Amino acid sequence: MAATFGTVSGIKFGIFSPDMIRKMSVAEIQNPDTYDEDGMPIPTGVMDPRLGTLEPGQRCKTCGNTYLGCPGHFGHIELPVPVIHVGFVKHIHNLLKATCRSCGRILIPPEEIERYREQIKRMYEEGRPSKEIFYRILQRAMMAEKCPHCDEKQYKIELEKPTTFIEVVDSERIRMTPHAVRARLERIRDEDLELLGIDPKSARPEWMVLTVLPVPPVYVRPSITLESGFRSEDDLTHKLVDILRVVQRLKENINAGSPSPVIAELADLLQYHVTTYINNEVPGVAPATHRSGRPLKTLAQRLKGKEGRFRLNLSGKRVDFSARTVISPDPNISINEVGVPIDIAMQLTVPEKVTEWNLERLRQYVRNGPDKYPGAKYVIRPDGKRVRLKFAQDLEEVANTLEPGFIVERHLIDGDIVLFNRQPSLHRMSIMAHKVRVLPYKTFRLNLCVCTPYNADFDGDEMNLHVPQSEEAQTEARILLLVQNNVLSPRYGAPIIGAIRDFLTSIYLLTRDDTYLTKKELSYILSAIGYEGEIPPPDVKKPEPRWSGKTIFSLLLPKGFNHRFKASFSPDIEVVIENGRLVKGVIDKSAIGVEKANSILHRIAAEYGPDAVREFIDKIVKVANTYLNLRGFSFGVDDLYIPDKAYKELEKVFKKMDEAFNVLKANYEKGRIEVRPGETLEQAFESNILQILSEAREEAGKIARKYISPESSAVIMTRTGARGSLLNIDQMVAVVGQQAVRRERIKRGFTDRVLTFFKPGDVSPKARGFVYNSFLRGLDPVEFFFHMAGGRDGLVDTAVRTQQSGYMQRRLINALESLYVEYDGTVRTMDEKRIVQFQYGEDGVDPSKSYHGEAVNPSIIVNRLGIKGGSRSPIKPEDLSNLLKSYEGRLPASVLEKAKNTIKSMKMGRKDAERFMEETLREYLKNRVEPGEAVGIVTAQSIGEPSTQLTLRTFHFAGVREQSILLGLPRLIEIVDARKTPSTPIMKIPLEPEYAKSKSKAQRLARELRYTSFEDIVAGVGLDLKRNAVLLQLDEKAMKAHGATMRHVEQALKQAKLKYDVGEGFVRVYAGEGAQDLERLRVRLLAMRVKGVKRIKKTIVRYENGEYVILTEGSNLKEVIQVPGVDYRRVETNSIHEIAEVFGIEAARMAIVKEMQHVLEEQGLDVDVRHLLLLADMMTLSGSVKQVGRHGVVRLKSSPLARAAFEISVQTLLDAAVRGEIDHLKGNVERILIGKEILLGTGMVSLLMMYPGIADGGSEPKEKEKG
Amino acid sequence: MVSKGKSSSKGKRSAKKAVREINVMEHYLVPRHRVLSKEEAEQVLKKYGITPYQLPYILVSDPVVKALNAKPGDIIEIIRDSPTAGKAVYYRLVVKSE
Repeated sequence: MAATFGTVSGIKFGIFSPDMIRKMSVAEIQNPDTYDEDGMPIPTGVMDPRLGTLEPGQRCKTCGNTYLGCPGHFGHIELPVPVIHVGFVKHIHNLLKATCRSCGRILIPPEEIERYREQIKRMYEEGRPSKEIFYRILQRAMMAEKCPHCDEKQYKIELEKPTTFIEVVDSERIRMTPHAVRARLERIRDEDLELLGIDPKSARPEWMVLTVLPVPPVYVRPSITLESGFRSEDDLTHKLVDILRVVQRLKENINAGSPSPVIAELADLLQYHVTTYINNEVPGVAPATHRSGRPLKTLAQRLKGKEGRFRLNLSGKRVDFSARTVISPDPNISINEVGVPIDIAMQLTVPEKVTEWNLERLRQYVRNGPDKYPGAKYVIRPDGKRVRLKFAQDLEEVANTLEPGFIVERHLIDGDIVLFNRQPSLHRMSIMAHKVRVLPYKTFRLNLCVCTPYNADFDGDEMNLHVPQSEEAQTEARILLLVQNNVLSPRYGAPIIGAIRDFLTSIYLLTRDDTYLTKKELSYILSAIGYEGEIPPPDVKKPEPRWSGKTIFSLLLPKGFNHRFKASFSPDIEVVIENGRLVKGVIDKSAIGVEKANSILHRIAAEYGPDAVREFIDKIVKVANTYLNLRGFSFGVDDLYIPDKAYKELEKVFKKMDEAFNVLKANYEKGRIEVRPGETLEQAFESNILQILSEAREEAGKIARKYISPESSAVIMTRTGARGSLLNIDQMVAVVGQQAVRRERIKRGFTDRVLTFFKPGDVSPKARGFVYNSFLRGLDPVEFFFHMAGGRDGLVDTAVRTQQSGYMQRRLINALESLYVEYDGTVRTMDEKRIVQFQYGEDGVDPSKSYHGEAVNPSIIVNRLGIKGGSRSPIKPEDLSNLLKSYEGRLPASVLEKAKNTIKSMKMGRKDAERFMEETLREYLKNRVEPGEAVGIVTAQSIGEPSTQLTLRTFHFAGVREQSILLGLPRLIEIVDARKTPSTPIMKIPLEPEYAKSKSKAQRLARELRYTSFEDIVAGVGLDLKRNAVLLQLDEKAMKAHGATMRHVEQALKQAKLKYDVGEGFVRVYAGEGAQDLERLRVRLLAMRVKGVKRIKKTIVRYENGEYVILTEGSNLKEVIQVPGVDYRRVETNSIHEIAEVFGIEAARMAIVKEMQHVLEEQGLDVDVRHLLLLADMMTLSGSVKQVGRHGVVRLKSSPLARAAFEISVQTLLDAAVRGEIDHLKGNVERILIGKEILLGTGMVSLLMMYPGIADGGSEPKEKEKG
Repeated sequence: MVSKGKSSSKGKRSAKKAVREINVMEHYLVPRHRVLSKEEAEQVLKKYGITPYQLPYILVSDPVVKALNAKPGDIIEIIRDSPTAGKAVYYRLVVKSE
């Protein structure tokens, strides 16, 4: 049989009809036994040899292939009674309810049917059938009580979980047999099914009730032979045997004419077995278990979840040519290299084609064979035959037969390109290409500067290495993935690779003002970087020549490099580099560190390109390393020395603190603390204590910092950004401070006390986890305990956080995975090519090519063109505006604006201005995203990766103490979840001028806004039975606090149309005629609004930017903007859904961006806005705010496979079957599932060129082999 | 262009007082929306080589759409203030439901 090759162009989902199952089947399975005594499979048993063969050597009874070639064949089981398919229960139920019990027509009058049909037809023509309409039709049909076609009365049909249908005929519950269900489903007409979104061609409803069960081939459920010789069968086989046993008994009983209850019971048993065979986790069904009690893994379980087929084997696959081992550091190799242990290099191979030019070299490899480095493992001859050199008799002979056209699979050698990866792969820099350096010993070696992108350290971390085999893959890796091409992070457009730790310390020490080196030292350093130029003139000539560290550092800088910035060491230090010379300032983290924008590193990367940065970083590392070797750097107790005087001052601080505490405690006991609204006395006390403690800690820290020597290693390290924070120093030197569990003082333990060392009820700092000692002094046992508790809480927090952010990132990836940049610059979805953005990031600039978000950095251009500015005849304003006009439409407005300002402020001449604009345009075009870029993935990673660093469980005060809002990771999740209400809804309400100017007016309005119900203002409620009224005792104090007056009360009652009397401090409300409802009235009254806007719980007036504004807790945009005096144009809320409802989808989009920006900024995380814009645009694509997850953005995907691969696999697939959906395999997820290349990036391009061979009739080796 | 729609459906519940005239277009979060003419719409579709349904959607029930009195099938041009580009143009197709 000549094999023809084609590609899968789509996958259609449907339900097998019984006929189809029989047609497919090669054997009817009847026998519940598997093997006979000889261990041979029994024909018509579940292991029937016609289903395929598992053992090598045996041939398949059906197709004659060995186990390698036989694809496996289905069998079938004839079920004596119909069985309901659990997966379709919901669909069956809907169908039964929506169709007539007698004539089977859909329960909608003919005219309406026609109307709906028209509507659906129109939608198909527009190419946009929506699931919603089918749902509407279904709802409409289920409402009917009488069939509009045959006038039959319809009864309620209940579904008794899991698989029993019950028809309620005049309050009599009649159980429907699967048989009856099937009969009804059979009556439904095809054209009616179309109205319900069911494709009758691929899913006739009666097929949802099984009469024949397909038996999967044995490959799907292989049996394994244990060492003991026992056979162990697959779970599915077990289940099939169970089914067959019942089938057999049923048949016997039916044939014997047994009474129907017996048969019904057996039918139920069969239903159970088939149900668990399909899905063993159906609620309400006891899971079928193995003898050991372990639940069986049946069909649904095989697909589902993280360990299911989709996520384990289809979305991610195991690969060859990979290695994994422990990593260790090596500052002597380049950042784009990886040290590969020789043992690994001899296992991994690269195919190299033999040519005239490498013939001799490859022959030598072959001669060396597989066990001598550098050798080879295989030789592939032009006819496709592989020679395994391990078994070759004479290597010399094989080597001599080598000719151009052969392929040699040789060992890894220096310079080969490999992919290097460390999990978790949170962003694209987690996999980068390195060049191989084969080294002795057993670990992968990597340069320390690439620790940051991989997030690696050397405490036992392992990393993976992959060897791309094809030339295309290698080239792609070399051009796109090499480390130096990934120095700038797409998350924030600044270097993510740079000097860390000791390198920063070292470079700082080197470039300090007073560092001068001798000639010998200079030579050491210069030889380390292989410096070959002239030795610069010494900075000091007498008594002996000496060179300053700055001079040495300058040797690393490119010629003509100019830059100015602030050092991280101190904001007072300005670093000046002129013409490639470090003139002033020191080099530290903000010059060559990671995650710092506008550093030297950043400038070099942007101005001089990838190779220059690589070289620069390599040299920095070597210089720093050598210098630190010469100078030495250590850390010890001496580095934490502060004079005794300082300790005395610290004592005083604590004494003051304790006194403050005692005062507070006394006040607390007398109940004389100011309690803020919404706080209890205890909470007020606690927050006051925390205030006192943190002030004391802060003061102690200040003392420590004042007295500690600036030459201390600790100080140097923190200030250069090498390691540690000021807080760390404080804790080591001065005081460790308050330990917290769940952001509170530690209070759990024994009754009323944490430890038995304290008296019950002791709330002193010491008893609640304040550590008075410093780490240097040492903690006492109690303090040690508290410290441990706090430390444990931190660990738990981290663990929870990684889980949450991991899931959030998975959802982001799945929601955005299909977005890419089209050739016209738009961002589109892969499947339907829908436009999400008309210009990526609105200006079309790739954040990793931007200068920290800026499309074009004018100062780089000025520098590049060598424009001096300060022209004697600056460009005339009208010329400038003409010049700018000519660039309109070619450059974004923001770039034009910036260019204009630069030209003006530098006073450029006309020529210079023109050159400047030209270069600006060129730079802008260079910085644009490239078509094919998977911007969705980049966005998901750029938001997901930093989210691990977000804090958990943080409430922050938004400006005022009274208004606290949720921030950090939970808030971010809340936003991408598109929750209906935020957990801390707040508003900011600016007022119209008249109110904004006057505090009292603003306050009056604020009181007016605050929601008050009767419950808030009554002191007591009584029932006046005689007068049939409710008596409300008004609490004057509460009324005042709430700002409610009698007028409000009366108004509210009037509005509710209630009769009432007003008395002295009470109101009597009459229940009216319906006398019995006094109790109901009471409840209703208490919940009734007196004044204010619903959901506005608290209002605060605050003076801000020259006006009074109202801050609220609780949000109700819709009603607040209706209140006179509110400036509705500027009202803010953090409830995105409210904004969408009141101001529309565009406003909601802006709000999403703002909210996310706020969260990230507050935590000091740097994420380019373009990512937030893209996410917001995706969330609002469909016109309403959609969640990032299975109910929102992911559900909008057209591919059932893509949806199934994300979550709820089984139901998604079943639904797709009912609808007869077709997966066109356009999206990335689907393509990965079936093993096709994805049409993104380099996969998007197709060349109009063919391999020789394919063009003239398909003689590519692989195809020939099989054909 | 700007219709002073009696705030349409909203405010029905809080109709106790005279409904305030709210023009949603004036809110600081709402960018400029404009209904494209037939020709302009045609041009947009041609420029990007797409059918209308490949555009992002905006619901007829959207307050801004109501204010503009746009009908399903109309294309709305939105000019946003962009943090990156200064100004950015976006289009949305008015649809009845998602």
